[in-house]
Amino acid sequence: MQGGVSITAAARDDALRTTLARARGCRVAPDRRRVVILMSPSQCAALLSNLRANGAIAVVFSRPSTHRTLQLKGDDAVVEPVRPDDLAIALRHHEALALDLANIGFGEAFAATLERCELDDLVAVAFTPRAAFSQTPGPRAGNPLKAGE
Amino acid sequence: MTVTLDAIRDCLEGATPAVMATCDLDGVPNVAYLSQVHYIDPGHVALSFQFFNKTRENVLANPQATLLVIDPNTGATYRIAVRYLRTETEGPLFEHMKARLAGIASHTGMAGVFRLRGSDVYRVLEIERIPGATLPAAPRRNRLAALRTCARRLAACTDLAGLFNETLECLAQAFDVRHAMLLMFDRAGGRLYTVASLGYERSGVGSETALGAGVIGVAAREGTPIRISHMTSDYAYARAIRHGVAQQGLAGMLETEIPLPGLAQPHSQLAVPVADGQQLYGVLCVESGEDLRFTYDDEDALVTLAAQLAVAIRPLQAAADADDEPAADESARAPAAGAPVVVRHYAADGSTFVDNDYLIKGVAGSILWALVQDHVASGRVGFTNRELRLDPRIRLPDVTDNLEARLVLLQRRLVERESCVRIEKTGRGRFRLCVSRPLVLEAAR
Repeated sequence: MQGGVSITAAARDDALRTTLARARGCRVAPDRRRVVILMSPSQCAALLSNLRANGAIAVVFSRPSTHRTLQLKGDDAVVEPVRPDDLAIALRHHEALALDLANIGFGEAFAATLERCELDDLVAVAFTPRAAFSQTPGPRAGNPLKAGE
Repeated sequence: MTVTLDAIRDCLEGATPAVMATCDLDGVPNVAYLSQVHYIDPGHVALSFQFFNKTRENVLANPQATLLVIDPNTGATYRIAVRYLRTETEGPLFEHMKARLAGIASHTGMAGVFRLRGSDVYRVLEIERIPGATLPAAPRRNRLAALRTCARRLAACTDLAGLFNETLECLAQAFDVRHAMLLMFDRAGGRLYTVASLGYERSGVGSETALGAGVIGVAAREGTPIRISHMTSDYAYARAIRHGVAQQGLAGMLETEIPLPGLAQPHSQLAVPVADGQQLYGVLCVESGEDLRFTYDDEDALVTLAAQLAVAIRPLQAAADADDEPAADESARAPAAGAPVVVRHYAADGSTFVDNDYLIKGVAGSILWALVQDHVASGRVGFTNRELRLDPRIRLPDVTDNLEARLVLLQRRLVERESCVRIEKTGRGRFRLCVSRPLVLEAAR
């Protein structure tokens, strides 16, 4: 979840219309109960406002080279200011993802462009995962994840 | 500036995966990666429905969804609000997506796992360009300019053989296509036969493929372009079957099969019907050893080129029969010399052998048989298309049959087999049979 993966988050409004955006990084709280993803507000104003309104969130983590994919869902998402070390987390996320993308033939410039962000354009979204699902493509995609998987 | 879907089709080529968000009626959002987002028109996309999963369940309950797509060249990202309309489980859209999915499945190691259950059609409600840095777009070939050049060249052709050649030369010169083939449709036989090809070790002229087999057969049957961007065995039926039979030691039974031209391992294939209104003339097919070689823009260009080709075929086909004068008697030409050659013809399927060397079968075989019969009986060498069309020995399938295309095919096969019999065009709707050795005819059953 914290290295070499592409992260995408979705939220919905009161009319159950969805929106989604890529996240810039992820950290897990020391108690391992809360997950924090980093988002760029310039790219996802509607998503953040939906999260502030109802807290319902789905986040997918996927490694491009293997298609291995995990989805977490929560209903208590909150938008918080970033911590001083979050830009470093976003940069590490970017480097690891760029490396994975390079392994499957995408140029450095492409990966760099896709994940570029600035500290003044970062917020943190924290939530408690209520459910986890394996989303690796195939007939088992969407199955709830069991312990040890 | 409003972004329209046709302007961002590169995002839908599959080079970068698209992501989709849906929501159930309890308000729980869901995110899923998509195998395929297929461009239908500026107002619609179709998504591949492969599994009964959460996404499927959600859109049936709540049709509102959002896609996130990325331009593989520039990194530009777009959010697309869509609304589910319907699912198609057969027809052109379904067949096109099924073929594309076969390529995607084998590319991602999912062959045998990914199976298209349906094409889910969505209306595009809104497209939003997500702010962010992008790479400059690389200059690209202008297909519209290429198409203009090709349309002019095709319209200038005065006979069918020239038109076939010009079509392939246009593809090579204006579109940088290295491998291509043109097949004509035999309506009565439900098959397509190759009349011209480009860039293969053997031309494959005279080879046949069944309606519904491989990218060419499916394009013909469904009347839709079929485009595959990765190598897949699913659409190589003809070659796969032949390979299997050959391995079983039955190769001898296939001596009357001319192998289809084609790359052994095509990574990209695009087959386009050549049709004029409802009438199918044939299929134009291009191939490449590279993944993702042919884009939506190439598909548009080739569909338009094929339409031009169909428009050009119709008058040339009619003109080929127009001459009403009887053929001049040219029997006083130099007599054939050398050892006699046996021409054997099987009435059952028209297959014709020259000195035990398989030449051709079907209508083209019967045409040759009628010509050499007349030649041996009376020394005749001059013939017209019109009399062939009326000749009961040839049994042309119907009046709309493309006789001229069959003559082009026969003429090319005779040249390729370095036969002692040749056909030379001598004018509109007339040709000469050139025989350089004495013929012995054998009618076989």
